[in-house]
Amino acid sequence: MIAVQLLLLALITAAMAADGAGPPSAVRHLYLVPTLWAALGAGAAGGGLIGLLAGLLQAPLVLPAIERMGLGSRTLDGLVSLVTPVSVGWLVGLLVDASRGRAARLRAVLEIQRSLGREVPLEERLESVVEGVRAALGAQRVGLVVTAEDESRAPVAVPSGPGFDERSAAGLAQRTGRPVWVEDLRSDPRLGAPAAGGPTPIRGLVLPLDAGRGAVGALAIEREGDLTPAVRVAAEEMAMHLALAIENARLTLRQRRFAEELERKVEAATARLRELDQAKSEFLSVVSHELRTPLTALQGFSELLLTRAVPPERARRFLGHLHGEAQRLGRIVAELLDLSRIQAGRPLELRREAVDLNEVIERNVELFAAEHRGHQFGWAGCPNGLTLEADQDAVDRMLKNLLSNAVKYSPAGGRVAVAAGPAPDHPGMVELSVEDDGVGIAAEHLPRIFDRYMRIANPETAAARGLGLGLSLVKALAEAHGGRVEVDSLPGKGSRFRVLLPG
Amino acid sequence: MLLLSAPFDAARGGHGAPIAAPCALAGGAALLGAATGVWIELQGGGPPGLGRSAAAAVLHAGFFAVGWILATDGRPGWPRPALIMAAAFLAASVASRLSSWGATAFLLVPLVLVGVSRGHAELRRIGLARPKGLLPLTAGLGVGIFLGAHLLVTSSLTFGYGVRIANAGAYLSAVGYDVGANALTAEWLFRGALFSRWWRRWRFWPAAALATAVGVARYLLDPALASAVEVRAGAVFYMALLGVGCCALRAWSGSLLPGYSATVVFFAAYRLLAP
Repeated sequence: MIAVQLLLLALITAAMAADGAGPPSAVRHLYLVPTLWAALGAGAAGGGLIGLLAGLLQAPLVLPAIERMGLGSRTLDGLVSLVTPVSVGWLVGLLVDASRGRAARLRAVLEIQRSLGREVPLEERLESVVEGVRAALGAQRVGLVVTAEDESRAPVAVPSGPGFDERSAAGLAQRTGRPVWVEDLRSDPRLGAPAAGGPTPIRGLVLPLDAGRGAVGALAIEREGDLTPAVRVAAEEMAMHLALAIENARLTLRQRRFAEELERKVEAATARLRELDQAKSEFLSVVSHELRTPLTALQGFSELLLTRAVPPERARRFLGHLHGEAQRLGRIVAELLDLSRIQAGRPLELRREAVDLNEVIERNVELFAAEHRGHQFGWAGCPNGLTLEADQDAVDRMLKNLLSNAVKYSPAGGRVAVAAGPAPDHPGMVELSVEDDGVGIAAEHLPRIFDRYMRIANPETAAARGLGLGLSLVKALAEAHGGRVEVDSLPGKGSRFRVLLPG
Repeated sequence: MLLLSAPFDAARGGHGAPIAAPCALAGGAALLGAATGVWIELQGGGPPGLGRSAAAAVLHAGFFAVGWILATDGRPGWPRPALIMAAAFLAASVASRLSSWGATAFLLVPLVLVGVSRGHAELRRIGLARPKGLLPLTAGLGVGIFLGAHLLVTSSLTFGYGVRIANAGAYLSAVGYDVGANALTAEWLFRGALFSRWWRRWRFWPAAALATAVGVARYLLDPALASAVEVRAGAVFYMALLGVGCCALRAWSGSLLPGYSATVVFFAAYRLLAP
């Protein structure tokens, strides 16, 4: 290309010399053709060089005329013609360079956005970005360091070759948020002992990647020869776009993670709702069954007493059955009332008074021992007596529920031990524990056993009756007192429930 | 990649060791030697012109020494090559003064320079290296031929200067001086040491402009340059063009050789001009 342009210059000069018109020759304007061609093709360097040659080639025709005729309008015109090609070539070349630079920057920015949006590992995306920036800036090497979102992780560096050093210029720019400029990488003492180096300086520029919320990394550029202000501006622009793109990519990733987590939570909540729905259905069935059983007994025995002449001894026994079933019905109704109160979010009403725990435990143990002769109940009693400020009825119901559970979920002949006393691990609290050697509860069910309607499916205890409300009521009553309930259990070994109440 | 992997000590200072003192020492010694040569000439000691030639040789040795000091960042050990080169310049000058063919001794000076530079890898930084391929050398010759031809055509058409070799011996002596001293030290000091040093710190244009300005000043201060206005204007114009062209060749090729060949060819053409 340059050979053709040089040939054109020579032809134009020959034509001008042959024309013989001297400096005002119209042929001189033709110099602009190769000059503009070079400027459009090779930018300021090409346009300036061909323009300079054009001016120099005209000089032997113009200068003698000036020497002969002095400075007149014609010779002055010729003098202007000498500098016109170089000026035009250089200025047009500058514009061409600027527009090419802008186009390259735009392409690089688009490439950055495209690369960072790809669904590939971060290192791979950064490698692609680095290549785009390198090509756009005409640099020999471009490196990128991006800090990890999690500060405990090492930053990602591309190229990954010799490894990123926190003490490097890139590390400094990333820490301080300020650019670092190195005039010549091979002779700058800040980079260690100066090397012998090559004939061309290698410029280094490190820009922090900062989109306004602190540096997220650094962009390092190594370029042989000049790093012009235009290239520097382009690098700064790309660093800004990179910072924004990295922030956006991270934001997108965070949103995606959040959406996934939300989806998981919704799925879990839906499953829980399904379980609750099923538990409620089962509860209704159990409730109707639990209510019907004592009602049937009440109906049957009262009908017998009304319709038949029953001997007094037998009638007394029937009345005993009637009383027992009525009590059971009463307990079910009380539990249902408590449940509705808890569900409505109303606090349980407590009547606090001094409660003699010894007396409550003793009474219940005797009652349960009398009712469930197949089980062995153990209660050592408190030697110094144990009194606490609580609702006596609530304490009684908590104990009854725990004893009832222990009996239900342990085989005939099983042992049920009750203990009470100051809690050794919770100063100021009193513990009331009920321990059995029954079927126990699997670890995965433990977190849910205090939920309402929750009945753990177990073939050994399938016959056990209950609404699945007992333990949730114990928990609610303990919490209403400012205490709590805990459980330790091993499948096949038994369970130990411990109610902690303020002393 | 150094910017990512090499430890960076921001607290460490700028480039290299102080160079003012050794440069002043070398420059002062050269000026003193040149003054001694001129004094001998004025006193009429020795063959005519010998003192002046010796003065020029010592000045070129001074240029070489300052260039060496700049190129090596003032590291010790510069006097030895400077003295060897001074001896070479002096020997060539004396030889050319004693006989027309003695100027061929100047052709050996570049070889002496290559010899004293051997083993100094840091001199690659100033472009003391072979260019890659023949293109840079061809371009250098092209620049020299174009500027030389332009000088001849323009001078002859504008000012009526003749283009001829009036005395083959004198022409050969002058060309020998250009090859072994004038062009050699100009490239060594202005394009090699000064331009390379400034280019490492600034961009191309400021470095090239300043190195060229210093080079042009050196020719304007040369007592051998005619005092006619057109000659001085022409010297500024052509030396500026040649200087910038040589800086561009040095930057592009990474070698001083293309610029050196351009300067030699240009001066060979210049020596053809006769008033």
